[in-house]
Amino acid sequence: MSFSQNDVVVETEPTTPPTPNDTTVLLGKYELRELLGVGASAKVYHATRVTDGKSVAVKAVSKRNVLANGLAENLEREISVTRRLRHHPNIINLLEVLATKTKIYLIMEFAAGGELFQKVADGGRMTEDVARKYFRQLISAVKHCHSAGVYHRDLKLDNLLLDDDGDLQVSDFGLSAVKNQIRPDGLLHTVCGTPAYVAPEILAKKGYNGATVDVWSCGVVLFALTVGFLPFNDYNITVLYRKIYRGQFRCPKWISSELKKLLSRLLDVNPQTRITVDEIMQDPWFNAGGYRFNRVLVEQQEPEWEKSQIKTKMLNAFDLISFSSGLDMSGLFVNSGDPNKVERFVLRQKVERIIEKVEEVAKGTKIRVRRNEKCEGARLEGQDGNLIALVLVYRLTDELVVVEVKSIGKMNCNPNLMSCLMKF
Amino acid sequence: MSCFCLRKGKPAKTNHDQFIMLASETSFTVNEVEALLDLYKKLSSAVIDDGLIHKEELQFALLRNSSKQNLFVDRVFDMFDIKRNGVIEFTEFVRSLSIFHPNASPEKKIEFAFRLFDIRQSGYIGHNELKEMVLATLTESDVTVPDDAVESIVEKTIREADSNGDGKIDGKEWKEYVGKNPSLLKMMTLPYLKDITLAFPSFVLRTQVEHC
Repeated sequence: MSFSQNDVVVETEPTTPPTPNDTTVLLGKYELRELLGVGASAKVYHATRVTDGKSVAVKAVSKRNVLANGLAENLEREISVTRRLRHHPNIINLLEVLATKTKIYLIMEFAAGGELFQKVADGGRMTEDVARKYFRQLISAVKHCHSAGVYHRDLKLDNLLLDDDGDLQVSDFGLSAVKNQIRPDGLLHTVCGTPAYVAPEILAKKGYNGATVDVWSCGVVLFALTVGFLPFNDYNITVLYRKIYRGQFRCPKWISSELKKLLSRLLDVNPQTRITVDEIMQDPWFNAGGYRFNRVLVEQQEPEWEKSQIKTKMLNAFDLISFSSGLDMSGLFVNSGDPNKVERFVLRQKVERIIEKVEEVAKGTKIRVRRNEKCEGARLEGQDGNLIALVLVYRLTDELVVVEVKSIGKMNCNPNLMSCLMKF
Repeated sequence: MSCFCLRKGKPAKTNHDQFIMLASETSFTVNEVEALLDLYKKLSSAVIDDGLIHKEELQFALLRNSSKQNLFVDRVFDMFDIKRNGVIEFTEFVRSLSIFHPNASPEKKIEFAFRLFDIRQSGYIGHNELKEMVLATLTESDVTVPDDAVESIVEKTIREADSNGDGKIDGKEWKEYVGKNPSLLKMMTLPYLKDITLAFPSFVLRTQVEHC
């Protein structure tokens, strides 16, 4: 049985999983296909969306289980958190949640390429170049989540899947409440459930920081990819704990010295001195081959460039009216702390001059201005290449223009630039 | 279960039956209707905590201010208040929002927008109505545009849309005009509605759906 799509513990119980018959359709929306895995509290199916045939993974969780473990509140919180994380190319998106009286169904993107674990299991250790590709994608995903204040806390090979193109997909970011729980006998079970990825400070029960714990787990993953087995392993759990606690691992001699160095920084038992995600991105092994990390683009729900029509056209009265926030019903869904903001001004100014002005303001900051070819406006990008604001210029009359500044996410952290833009 | 009544005075219908009915009439699933109930509760308790959306509450949600008059909020409120009893009930809320669903038909969106802009409910959008709306928008954003410029924008728009030359825009002309300017319908679609279950996930524990 293949057990792709995240951390479901596959048990070797002889029970035949209740294979859905051909006609099982969840709430009229998702047609269940094959069962991918069975765990202590969850089942994962491959399914297709009825409207467009898109493949999805459906994680079915027993509600009783969630309630019994007191995880109801966590689940709610985590679902909303996960929603904020979406749109990173290396993270499995949660698409929707369905529920009945007894079950909760998490509808997720389907990773068609299976598990990274399987790749190592089948093909053995990877070359450093191949491992580097996956590691970069992993760090990119981790960085994205950490900057949103979300920590995985259970990173391991089993949570790393591959998509159609063979790119890494991290599953279960922010969803610890629906992970398989420790079974009633208190032990973590099966290969996937070993504490082999767990940072020493967790074992020490000292209280820990989600960021450094994730970095440790990334170190275990990187070791496993390049060496072909886990850095800390033992049948005897007490011995295993001791090994982790002391950070006892051995790099085989085929490992390059750069990688060895990075591994020792990742698997540093002291969370205070352990390498950080930002430092990883400066690491020589990580950056081998002249790699520049800064262009991992996050697909944002960015306001589309209003297609070609705006270019020479002047705004009509209805265009103008639709600027009213009284007509912007998205206000119903957005909390007051909404990171996206729109400001507009009417100016008696030439369009070209406005973009020049934006460029002048951005000069000397770390913000890059990209003029848009298709229409009159510019994208402002942060250091990582992600969009932080859009400036759009519309013609109102022969002399007047409307300037619209849409700030996205963290742009508000840069009040300086904002206020300069406002001053026109 | 929630204690508020969806339909005051009408007996023997549970929330769940209402939800099934709403789901069958709209683009939403029962789960989505349940998630919308959380949004509704949040909005309807913002100013007056009586489980119904009052105009102040819509104003507060859209403008972050419950006392500022706004022509468009008034119009949206009137459109949502299908029964015209001064409050937006949950069923009205769901039915109206359903038109904003990305999967809702463009015809419905076009028709809704026309009625919204027909501020005097005369069956057409005339010069004065259009000018009033433009001025309202400009005032709202603290923007001043010379009157002759406003006049010329309004006139030009009417001219573009008014194919039968009677000086005003009727429903048919509006439809044609939107066909030529599809961006005008953008405000009629809310991508948020597609992942409403993730935004308001607490329904998962309360849902009355029996099976999938």
